[in-house]
Amino acid sequence: MDILRVENARKRYLAQGQAVVALRGVSLNMRAGELVALVGRSGCGKSTLLNLAGAMDFPSEGTVQLEGEETTALNDDQLTRIRRFKVGFVFQNFQLLPTLSAVENVELPLLLAEAKNARERAREALEWVELSAETERMPHQLSGGQMQRVAIARALVHQPKLLLADEPIGNLDTATGNLILKLLEKAAREKGTAILMATHSPDSTRIADRVVEMRDGLMVAA
Amino acid sequence: MLLLLRRLILRPALAEPGRTLLTLFSIAIGVAVIFAMDLAGNAATTSFRSSLEVVGGEEDIEITAVGGVPVEVLGRLNELPYALKYSPRVEDFVWLNEKRTVPLVGLDLVSTALEAGNQKLLERPEKLDLGRRAAFVSKGLARAGEVIAVQVNDTPMRFVVAGIFDTGDVRGDLVVLDIEDAEAVTGRANRLDRILVTLPKAEEDKVDVWVETLRGHFGGSLSIRPVGARKEENRKMLAAFRWNLKILSYIALLVGAFLIYNTISVSVVRRRGEIGILRALGGTRAMVRGGFLAEAALFGLVGGVIGLAVGRVLAEGAVLLVGLTVEALYVSSTPAPVRFEWGAALLSLLTGVATSVLAALAPALEAGQVPPTEAMARGRVDTLAREGQGRYLLYAAGLAVVAALLSQLPPIARLPLGGYTAVLALVGSAAFLAPAFVTFGSKLLEGRLGVMSLLAGRSLSGALRRSAVLVATLATAAAMMTSVGIMVGSFRETMLTWLDTQIRADFYLRPAGSAAIDRHPTIAEAVADEIERIPGVEAVDRFRAYSIRYGGLPATLAAGDVRAQMRYGRTSLYAGNMADALQSVTSGEGVIISEPFSEKHRLRVNDRIRLPIGAKEKEFRVAGIFLDYSSENGYVVLDRNALRQYLPDDEPSNLAVYLKASVSSGSEREAVRRQIEAACGPRRIAIFENSSLRAEAVRIFDQTFAVTYALEAIAIFVAIVGVAGAMLALIIDRRREIGLLRFLGGSRGQVQRLVLLEAGFLGLFSQILGMVAGAFMSLILIFVINKQSFGWTIQFDPPVAALLGASLFVWTCTVLAGFYPARVATNLNPIEVMHEE
Repeated sequence: MDILRVENARKRYLAQGQAVVALRGVSLNMRAGELVALVGRSGCGKSTLLNLAGAMDFPSEGTVQLEGEETTALNDDQLTRIRRFKVGFVFQNFQLLPTLSAVENVELPLLLAEAKNARERAREALEWVELSAETERMPHQLSGGQMQRVAIARALVHQPKLLLADEPIGNLDTATGNLILKLLEKAAREKGTAILMATHSPDSTRIADRVVEMRDGLMVAA
Repeated sequence: MLLLLRRLILRPALAEPGRTLLTLFSIAIGVAVIFAMDLAGNAATTSFRSSLEVVGGEEDIEITAVGGVPVEVLGRLNELPYALKYSPRVEDFVWLNEKRTVPLVGLDLVSTALEAGNQKLLERPEKLDLGRRAAFVSKGLARAGEVIAVQVNDTPMRFVVAGIFDTGDVRGDLVVLDIEDAEAVTGRANRLDRILVTLPKAEEDKVDVWVETLRGHFGGSLSIRPVGARKEENRKMLAAFRWNLKILSYIALLVGAFLIYNTISVSVVRRRGEIGILRALGGTRAMVRGGFLAEAALFGLVGGVIGLAVGRVLAEGAVLLVGLTVEALYVSSTPAPVRFEWGAALLSLLTGVATSVLAALAPALEAGQVPPTEAMARGRVDTLAREGQGRYLLYAAGLAVVAALLSQLPPIARLPLGGYTAVLALVGSAAFLAPAFVTFGSKLLEGRLGVMSLLAGRSLSGALRRSAVLVATLATAAAMMTSVGIMVGSFRETMLTWLDTQIRADFYLRPAGSAAIDRHPTIAEAVADEIERIPGVEAVDRFRAYSIRYGGLPATLAAGDVRAQMRYGRTSLYAGNMADALQSVTSGEGVIISEPFSEKHRLRVNDRIRLPIGAKEKEFRVAGIFLDYSSENGYVVLDRNALRQYLPDDEPSNLAVYLKASVSSGSEREAVRRQIEAACGPRRIAIFENSSLRAEAVRIFDQTFAVTYALEAIAIFVAIVGVAGAMLALIIDRRREIGLLRFLGGSRGQVQRLVLLEAGFLGLFSQILGMVAGAFMSLILIFVINKQSFGWTIQFDPPVAALLGASLFVWTCTVLAGFYPARVATNLNPIEVMHEE
């Protein structure tokens, strides 16, 4: 069964009183362990697609299914549950909570989901991203690459079926970026996590099973 | 510069109207309370314009004596070779229509009042009912020709209204009788209450000379003073009361100052990038500092102007409360109408602006330090705040020591200035303790209530600078609530204990009508004699009181059966030996004085005081000092037999009736009460059971502190609303974190819980810090400010349950105030906030 199934998704919204069409009918299916790179210029609809895929938003038309569950039919609480258990997010700016240590940041999704053994699982996740020595460090004590590894550990700690990464190496130098890409690839291969990654970087596309290009809200190549 | 001000200061302020309005609100309420209390205080305590004045002419000097001026003094004055005009007066009060007390003045109607021509006689009836006493009354009290029912002392009677006076802009009613009628109805036996002296026009600027001249003829037996002296004395008497009221009125603005500090701090932190750019483009440090100070001044000015309008409205309510206290504790005086006073308005406005600018000084100076190359992140500022904690703890300790030292200072110009500044230093000490409190408290609580409590604790200690200011704001209000609560509660308990020792008689009697500290209507001597003959009555203590002036301040001279009072009432002395005091007072050689009297006039046991009584001046030894909480002006008590030597008037003001031990059952007591009522006959005499007198004393006490409670409530309201606004700003600044939580699987409910937990933590830290600081402040209030202002000894007896209840209520309000920011937080669109730059 597909982990993610997006069918003819359209998304319109109002920005400063103007109707903006972000997606004009996009379809995308992803299997477990598949790594898809989403490329295209800024404003082409990559982030909008990630938000729909991550149950953060609804399509104006069309459908989005996560493990066969259609998001448009769900209420806010049900969407929250989907995010808790099925989706992980990685952001360009890492988005670690500055007041929490590395391990506390990682265990946060588990705590929000009231999962058991949160600390232990968080340590394991940090070990998986090779940061066992930095578990108690605060974000401002970490390098950019370390912060993104913490973010990846956080995104994977609850073993989601789908990981959504929005420009995950956009703020990193090439060497560090490559390390992050390797980690994402490892997640897809070892854990079977489906990864949808929005990116500008040609390096990112090299590890992808599939590259999908978007332009003006449409997929132009798949 | 103006352009920069508009762009960098006004635009951001207007971009966040909610926060701007809340900041303006806090200043507006602060200024409003100051202005309202100033106007109300002026109206209630400085005019002392009573309706008694409207029937006067342009008198310059007044002659009075304790117990009244003997009529022969008027004869002696007339024999003096001076071209002075003398106006004798009888002054008392009547209980009108069993509803209210109205001043009664008896004067020579023909030669004085009407001749003076300063008041217009509006109406005159066609016919007068000559069978009844004719009275002139103030406009609105009755119509000409009507009959009014009055009670003078304990005797009901009726006057026919012969004419109406217009009292002009002086509030309050008045009944005027011819002096002979007034003497008859008040039972004055050849005694006048005042003789007013009018100087010839050419001599009007030599009042002091004439006062001395007249004193030369009468020695020290009479009180001869310029007419305005009494007003001046009243002002002096009320100075401490007004000062304490004024200080209390500044609490709300003090709370507002913390909120201004917070607002400007937030502005500085948010605009660090802009400041850096401005500096890089050639802006000077002074320009940056000036900009933020201008922002604060603008808040102060606009909030202040709004506050003046609100204050003018509040003053109408405040004057009623203040007036009640003045009437109950100090002097019979009708508050003047509240007027908008430009001087007071300007002062309140300037106070508001100055407070705003001072509160903004630290963040503005900090803004000036931002180097052009650095746009410091907020996290860095909070790190600095955390690093500064050790220093802040030192400041807190230093200020606590300063407070302890200041509290040791004696009063300055009769005011407890050391006490006031000590309280302010303690507020500062608590404020500097706030960062450590937040850090420690957050650490203690984080994670104890689930993941949201972990995040709440961390975000409070993470945004330390802001959360510490919010805690300091709420803690200041809580400390004031606690300290005043402990002071009032302790005072109440002390008074109740004192009442238990004082109110030992079974029944108390006084003429019906409203009681006041400077009105002493009397009961017929025959009534007391009759009650004494009732079989079940053990003893009747007759108590007579006179208003006197001593050392330039009002006081009460009282006489009673001291031996009976000591035996039945179990009065204990605060200073002095009981046996010596009894012997001394009953022999007529000594007096006992109340504690406030002793404090006000710095008198100790064995000091000697000279009291003018009747037409004589007599020296007494202070044989003892007793605790008393019924009058701030103070009592001088001598034995009734001793007073009789100087004032033959035997009519008591109050009676305390002690029943025999054999009268034990309720029905027997009731029977005696009926006999007492019968003894009173047609006279209007109020009979109080022991318990009801106690309840009345407590009611007056609680009424007295109504203003205090109102001011406390306003300060707490400002703090809570301000904190809600500040939390809203905090949420807006942390919107990305909240959006992230939603991405990570946080539900709306969890986000709401997070904000409410933060509000709850802030409230909890504030309440604990406020209660601890408040407990220390209460010691200064009780043992320094109260003692130096009013002279009362109050036993430290905190009303723990009531304070915990109030604290829980304020904490609940703080949590409730978090609901709006929580709603804003849950309604944030996570996608928008995560992607915005």
